[in-house]
Amino acid sequence: MIVRPCPWRARQLQQLWRPLRLERLHSKPAVREDQRWPGWEVVVGIEVHAQIKSRRKLFSDALTCKPGEKPNSFVACYDAALPGTLPTLNPKCVELAVRTAVALNAQVQSRSTFDRKHYFYSDLPAGYQITQRYAPLAKGGYLDLPSSRDGVRVGITQIQLEQDTAKSIFDARRRITQVDLNRAGSGLMEIVSEPDMRSPEEAGDYVRTLQAMLRAVGSSDGSMELGSLRCDVNVSVNKPGHPPGTRCEIKNLNSVKFMMVAITSEVFRHIDLLDRGQAIPQETRGFDEAKAETFKLRSKEDSPDYRYMPDPNLPPLLLSPDYIDRVRRSMPELPREMRARLMGTGLTEQEAEVLTTVDAGREVRFDGEPARGAVQYFDRLAQGRSAKAAVNWMIHELIGQLAARKETFSDNPVSVEQMGELVDMVQCGKMTGTSGKTLLRHMVTSRSTVCPSLLAKELGLLAVSDDDGSLLKNWCLEAIEALPEEVQKVRDGNVKVMNRIMGKVMQLSGGRVKAGDVRLMLEDLLRKP
Amino acid sequence: MPSYGVNIAMRRILGSSRNARAVCTTPDINALVHLSKTPPTTRHDGPLHGMTLAIKDNICTASLPTTCSSAMLAEYTSPFDATAVELLRDAGAQIIGKANCDEFGMGSLNVNSIYGPVVNPYRPADVRNVPSTVRERRSAGGSSGGSAASVAAGMCAAALGTDTGGSVRLPASYCGIVGLKPSYGLISRWGVVSFADSLDCVGVLARSVDTVKEVFDVILVYDARDPTAASPELRKRASSIVGSCLPKMFSGVQTNTLDGLRIGIPHEYFPLELEPSITSSLRTIIRSLKDAGASIHPVSLPATQYALSVYYVIASAEASSNLARFDGIQYGLRVPPPPGASRSKPSTVYAHSRSAGFGREAQKRILLGTYALTADAFDNYFLQAQRVRAHIKADFNRVFRHPCVHLARPESFLSADGVDVLLHPSAIRTAPRLAGEQDGGGEGRDMSSMDEYLQDVMTVPASLAGLPALSVPAGLGKDGWPVGMSIVGQWGMDELVLRVGRVVEGIR
Repeated sequence: MIVRPCPWRARQLQQLWRPLRLERLHSKPAVREDQRWPGWEVVVGIEVHAQIKSRRKLFSDALTCKPGEKPNSFVACYDAALPGTLPTLNPKCVELAVRTAVALNAQVQSRSTFDRKHYFYSDLPAGYQITQRYAPLAKGGYLDLPSSRDGVRVGITQIQLEQDTAKSIFDARRRITQVDLNRAGSGLMEIVSEPDMRSPEEAGDYVRTLQAMLRAVGSSDGSMELGSLRCDVNVSVNKPGHPPGTRCEIKNLNSVKFMMVAITSEVFRHIDLLDRGQAIPQETRGFDEAKAETFKLRSKEDSPDYRYMPDPNLPPLLLSPDYIDRVRRSMPELPREMRARLMGTGLTEQEAEVLTTVDAGREVRFDGEPARGAVQYFDRLAQGRSAKAAVNWMIHELIGQLAARKETFSDNPVSVEQMGELVDMVQCGKMTGTSGKTLLRHMVTSRSTVCPSLLAKELGLLAVSDDDGSLLKNWCLEAIEALPEEVQKVRDGNVKVMNRIMGKVMQLSGGRVKAGDVRLMLEDLLRKP
Repeated sequence: MPSYGVNIAMRRILGSSRNARAVCTTPDINALVHLSKTPPTTRHDGPLHGMTLAIKDNICTASLPTTCSSAMLAEYTSPFDATAVELLRDAGAQIIGKANCDEFGMGSLNVNSIYGPVVNPYRPADVRNVPSTVRERRSAGGSSGGSAASVAAGMCAAALGTDTGGSVRLPASYCGIVGLKPSYGLISRWGVVSFADSLDCVGVLARSVDTVKEVFDVILVYDARDPTAASPELRKRASSIVGSCLPKMFSGVQTNTLDGLRIGIPHEYFPLELEPSITSSLRTIIRSLKDAGASIHPVSLPATQYALSVYYVIASAEASSNLARFDGIQYGLRVPPPPGASRSKPSTVYAHSRSAGFGREAQKRILLGTYALTADAFDNYFLQAQRVRAHIKADFNRVFRHPCVHLARPESFLSADGVDVLLHPSAIRTAPRLAGEQDGGGEGRDMSSMDEYLQDVMTVPASLAGLPALSVPAGLGKDGWPVGMSIVGQWGMDELVLRVGRVVEGIR
């Protein structure tokens, strides 16, 4: 038996595994106790740094770079902070950040400004990072977590543009730190949430939902594994009815799983301290993945003074309502809207969910250029066809075949035109469903670009042209002859046994005849004495 | 514990090769620090064909080092030309070398330089026959001292300088030449090593207003690589205002007719420290301007008294930020920590390079600026300075007849009794004697350290407001050394300032 990796199934299972959910409404959070820490409430807020999927960097014309490229090969003079260089804001980065803000229902500010955050580190060539501390690009907003049945809404405090740093790699053997400037100056969006999450699982949901959203609007790859999305998490605990406790920030978490583990471990640490009557010191902490524990990086007292200063080079970023409207109109569909639209075409909730989930796995293209995913494929396939037939063929056959081969939808070699012709041939009886599936498997395996009608002919998969029904009659008579007992039972009124005779006909014909025709023919033949 | 080594390959890419250095100093006045070896072939049809120019050493040139007169960049050659340099080359100008300056432009006397001070080449009439070795050595002013001295000494026809708080106008005044600080944002800063971004301007120095204008016209180009560049639309609006008022004022048959020109004399520009002989030079100028048809109006710019404090807070804060990049990692001087020294944090490693690479004045300003930006001081110093800066700008907008095109509704400031330009001394005195000189019996006084900062008192207001300001020679002081007068106009009125400057220049 082939075990197919099935993302939507996995998701459902994960929901089943989830510990007791916290149930509450938007307006009035009525927290149900979490069995892991009875008598305590957990408050989580998350700062996400998402790399903007722009072709060029935030302030220079150097190309952005994927991890693994030759070090220091994607560097403009500005990125190396050479004297005499000045920043030029990349409008594509602004557009993608505005898309994100719109998708998060945030207020894009008509005027935002850039500030310098100063600190000395080998991965920061200029000695400061340009960010938007005093007047961010967007304020306010929210993200609904659709996978939670109790309607959790996480508030978004602000969204700001900032520069990514370089990477410093410590060479232990030579005892030197090497600096790779490829990432230096790439655009980041810092998305700051309100402390609206009440469990590690909600935090995980938030990040996953945000990832899907960023990918859907094309503003970021959102990949924690590749480092294009990084999280800092603020955690505090308090007794119900009491004000929030002292929060600790856990830095640089690089997978959703580890983030949830880190929050859980941090919650237990806080509760342990409080139970022993100790106060929680406000700290910045790291996470040790091996020990599944957080550890102290620095206390509030040693937190550096970043000497924020308005950047004297960059004028305020002024965005007109017209501009924001243009971005809004040109935006790709959001997952939620997409699901609703698909269900409007007659798809079930599960079908829509599968399509959007597969769609979320599509490649995010540079500068927000439209990408071809599963939903776009479906839209084109369903054009002039039955949506039901289209989605059935896509989900059960095409995506199934791909999954069996451990391929993703982006590997799909079957064009919409090929797929459409195949579906049409089955629909109008030129080919049986069974033959259609065989043909599709052949197309996926051979990556053939030949049109399905030719392939079907080559492979002998076309339904037999049997205008007078003589071929069908012959197969039926053959089957009747081969199964005398069954024939007798049918004649005695046991209609169920008919299926066995039909199966024999199918076998004899190689699946090229339609079941309905076979039944009619058999009934006709068996009625005769 | 990690050590912070240098990626050697990266260094090579960034072009800080060690063999590029060619320090050729002109020993008597020490104006040029790198000389072009072979005069490059220049375009024969360019408007500046054959014109020789020196470039201040904080403006990037790919063919010569750009050291900013700092040990930090003593070995540094930029991989690119500044936009202004590119435009000059394209126009056929011949760049003869790089000019000495105060380290990163920080100073008013051009004494904060690894190459040593620039000596003012001016020779007063009474000492023409005294050999240069025993002659009194005076400062050429700073920070563009090498640019001014090379022009005054006739080594080149013009020079590019930079002016953050008076760094073009002050040396021009001390050396007896013309120096223009254009409106902020008109000349591209791409390739100009930042001292204080919100104040830095590329300026032009030459022996006549006409030469200054020739060079200025070539580099007056919008450059998208400078995010603070005035937009083409803003330039158009300003030049249409200039265009509408110029013909009325300079309409006479003689070019020196100033009928209808309203000149303001700001009374805050006569501090106690002002040398009396300079006031009498100004009187002479005023008399001649009146004769030419201009009307003279006393005006008041009350916020001027705070200008110097505001300037030193803002300029130092920006400098502390801009100079953070000099850490000895990617390029520039690197002094490895001595054995046993702490390497616990990058800053403790950088400290060795930064302490060795920056001179006293740069260090002083970095510390001051760093303090002004700390969380505790930010509001009281940096933000307060920004608020006062807005008052200084508003003062100017109140006295000028022409609207500031930067304002959303400029016409609201249009005033019928406003002035076209302001006229005031460029400096409180003539060139001061270089410190450490034997008393030669001249009039020059030695400078106390506070005096050095005071030099900028007349020039920083225009810098803070981003206004065009031109220093023009206006006779001699009592000591026989040159005196400069400044003409300041509304933003974008550089053309008008130059036209008035030409008239002042003609008064002898």
